[in-house]
Amino acid sequence: MTNYIKTIGIEVHVELKTKTKIFSPAKNGYGSGANTLTNVVDLGYPGTLPTLNEEVVNQAIKAAIVLNCKIRKEMHFDRKNYFYPDNPKNYQITQSRTPIGYDGYVEIEVEGEKKKIEIEEMHIEEDTCKSAHRKDVTLLDFNRAGVPLIEIVTKPCISSGEEAKLYIEKLREILFYADISDCKIEEGSMRCDANISLRKNESDPLGTKVEIKNIGSISNVKLSLEKESIRQEKLLENNETFPAQTRRFDDKLNDTVLMRIKETGNDYRYFPEPDIPYLYITDEMIENVKNTIPLTADERRKEYMTRGISKINSDKILLNRSLSDYLNQFLKTDIDFVIVSNLLLGDISFYLNKHFLKLEETKLTKEKMIKLVEKLSDKTLTNKNVKDMIEYLLETDKTVEDIIKEKNIVNITDDSYLENIISEVLENNKESINDYLSGHDRALKYLMGQVMKLSKGSANPTLASQMLKEKLENLTID
Amino acid sequence: MSRYLEKSVLELHELLKKKEISPKDLVEEAFTRIEENKEYNAYITLNKEKALEEAKELEHIPFEEDNLLFGLPIAVKDNIITKDLRTTCASHILDNFMPIYDATVVEKLKASHMIIIGKTNMDEFAMGSSSRTSYFGAPKNAWNKEKITGGSSGGSAATVSLRDVPFALGSDTGGSIRQPASYTGIVGMKPTYGRVSRYGLVAFASSLDQIGPMTKNVYENALLLNAIVGRDDKDLTSSHKEQEDFTRLIGASIEGMKVAVPNYFMSDIVNEEIKEKIKESLEILKSAGVTIDFVDIPYLENAVTLYQIIAMGEASSNLARFDGVRYGHAKENPESIDNLYYGTREEGFGEEVKRRIMVGSYLLSGENAKEYYNKALSIRDDMRKALLDTLKEYDFILGPTTTTTAYNLTDPMDDPSKSFMDDVLVIPVNMAGLPGLNIPVGFDKEKMPIGLHIIGAPFEEAKMYSLASYLEEKLNLNLNPKGEE
Repeated sequence: MTNYIKTIGIEVHVELKTKTKIFSPAKNGYGSGANTLTNVVDLGYPGTLPTLNEEVVNQAIKAAIVLNCKIRKEMHFDRKNYFYPDNPKNYQITQSRTPIGYDGYVEIEVEGEKKKIEIEEMHIEEDTCKSAHRKDVTLLDFNRAGVPLIEIVTKPCISSGEEAKLYIEKLREILFYADISDCKIEEGSMRCDANISLRKNESDPLGTKVEIKNIGSISNVKLSLEKESIRQEKLLENNETFPAQTRRFDDKLNDTVLMRIKETGNDYRYFPEPDIPYLYITDEMIENVKNTIPLTADERRKEYMTRGISKINSDKILLNRSLSDYLNQFLKTDIDFVIVSNLLLGDISFYLNKHFLKLEETKLTKEKMIKLVEKLSDKTLTNKNVKDMIEYLLETDKTVEDIIKEKNIVNITDDSYLENIISEVLENNKESINDYLSGHDRALKYLMGQVMKLSKGSANPTLASQMLKEKLENLTID
Repeated sequence: MSRYLEKSVLELHELLKKKEISPKDLVEEAFTRIEENKEYNAYITLNKEKALEEAKELEHIPFEEDNLLFGLPIAVKDNIITKDLRTTCASHILDNFMPIYDATVVEKLKASHMIIIGKTNMDEFAMGSSSRTSYFGAPKNAWNKEKITGGSSGGSAATVSLRDVPFALGSDTGGSIRQPASYTGIVGMKPTYGRVSRYGLVAFASSLDQIGPMTKNVYENALLLNAIVGRDDKDLTSSHKEQEDFTRLIGASIEGMKVAVPNYFMSDIVNEEIKEKIKESLEILKSAGVTIDFVDIPYLENAVTLYQIIAMGEASSNLARFDGVRYGHAKENPESIDNLYYGTREEGFGEEVKRRIMVGSYLLSGENAKEYYNKALSIRDDMRKALLDTLKEYDFILGPTTTTTAYNLTDPMDDPSKSFMDDVLVIPVNMAGLPGLNIPVGFDKEKMPIGLHIIGAPFEEAKMYSLASYLEEKLNLNLNPKGEE
């Protein structure tokens, strides 16, 4: 079979995090009762006019900045005319001729190599209603109508499903950490369409374009593109042609299915929106927005790795914004980041997940964490101790010291107490001593286990092991 | 019952102040007159119960001596949204439409304690210039029942000229206030684009539409304009101009003012009798020390073509929302969503509206957008510049408002472009966003009114009223069709 060159372009719609909608004062929110977050403007009521939410423009400027786009200084909105029940005015207000951002890029790493995914343009537009199909009726929820979106369009510069996936992951991380969108694919606040065509040689013209609409998860981005290219390859191998078309990915079939054949010259009758005057973006506006951009994901990752956290663990922390924000409190301290990150990704995450909690809902203050790390560093506490204490650390206002005292968590560093335990263990395990002295190192592990057991896990393992070895060295085989 | 509504607003205000009459008396009288003039078909919906209720309520609040509009009745064109008062745009597609909010201008009328008497007849969605495209039948001209009122604000023009009410609001996209004002012998102002909020005006062509006052004289026109202007945050195209008193220059000297009369406005396209009357007015101005120059202004002859492209393009999009899904008429038992769309719009829209939607859609389709719409926008800019350049040298541009006087209701409607040619003299004003004012300056042989068209620089309405009131006083015409004034 020939090796086909894949040409992929991706369009992503992202709902912006704003208090109100783009063209009306109705609240921008998810999960409220159907049609509770609407007003006459969102309903496309006769006589109503759009206003323009300044927050949307600022969010779009911010997106343009973090996506390395050039920002258009003079822009307008356009009407895209088409009839559809989810489109209240039967035109959508968007930006066709003057997208706010253009010529940007997102950098991804493919098998160790950096690659820039070029962004053709990004523009502002309004979301449509949500339709729910029930038997023979369609219900419309106007809560989503007029929610601000930005659409980000790449150049056809992506060459595999894997690259597409990496691009979406990176894009999501960037937008999420810039507070532009919550980027929840499952709630529809981030939606992804991909275009793919195949050809044999670089010198060939681009093949027939197939669009895959509404891909429901990041992993399906890769999967659907791979499945679609296999499908197309088979057709091309048999010298079959196919029309430009729109498909969707079907989870159950694990393949793409046809939605519709593209009609030639889909005519949206674009024209400049006469209800919204031209918009002029000043350098000052851009500067002001720049100052609101929080630490980006890349900046965070770099900090974490400089502080010794592995790449894998840094990525894991970045997947959970609240862990990352928590960790960032310590950027200006000299606390051991590796210990903090291990705690966050280990026992703390385990407890949070188990109890459906968020870190910011717990009582794990910055001061508590500093104390905890201090005690772990000087081995006053063991990881096992922390495990035992975790509930009290997260759920009570008590200090680390108080918890240790109250829960009777003793990490035994007291030599005499340890000596007694070790003597008792040695007394009862003559055979193991003989084994050890005959060169069976396994026996030491067993004896240590007995020490820990007898101390109910509270012995400081380093100390205990050291003392045990010393004792054994002084013994002879019976 | 005594009759008051022919009186001037100042007189009515005095009578109200002295409690010789009450707002309720005026409201009742308005409805009596409307009933008497029923055959003129000026109204689509009357607001009888609520109007009387509001009038009674006014007796319980202190009389506002500084508010000359307090308690006075007003008619509102039926494309301006009124809460809980049916708003049809004279279309079958909205003939059951009960709005849930008030247009900004309506809020302002209510804040001035004016009382809305009813919603006036008009061309369907303001598309037409004789009000004959109304789903509810055409209104009739008070000067001659056989004649059209003009349009699209024909009902507002009719009810003011009939003296049913002292005030009406109209809307003007391509002459729809000034042309019917001219045909019916009243004063009609299309303010500068952005002067009056469009929020709640059902959009025909968004970049051209403007609401304006229609009254029996100049002073009262300025009074009503005072009440409806102002920046509205709900309309991004509304201007930030500060509140001003548009009556302030009425009575001021007009000596030394300069007027340009475009040769095109006095060319063969205009009826001889009309040209004669305009010349008489120009003579009056001349003797008052006004300079009159005949000038050539480019692009004026292209205005109608440009207007058709821009207005129909925008209309095709603005009217897309009437689809039977959320409000208004809907086809019964549709088989599919497309069937609902086609059926609703086929049943709901009249011929002229359908024609304009189709032409507009065509003009915006594919390459046509570049070929027609975008080109029209750029020529429109040139035309605006040409007019503004003239208005830098001159205080006003003057000419006739219409090329003929009101014609017969039975005249054929089969030539769609004829209706646009009716508006050839008024359309350039909308294209350039300028203010334009009609005042009656005489009558033709058939005793049908003739109007003068005053075009001003942006936001110069007060100065226009000044010139208009000078002429009004000098001409001293009897403008009551029933001759009672």
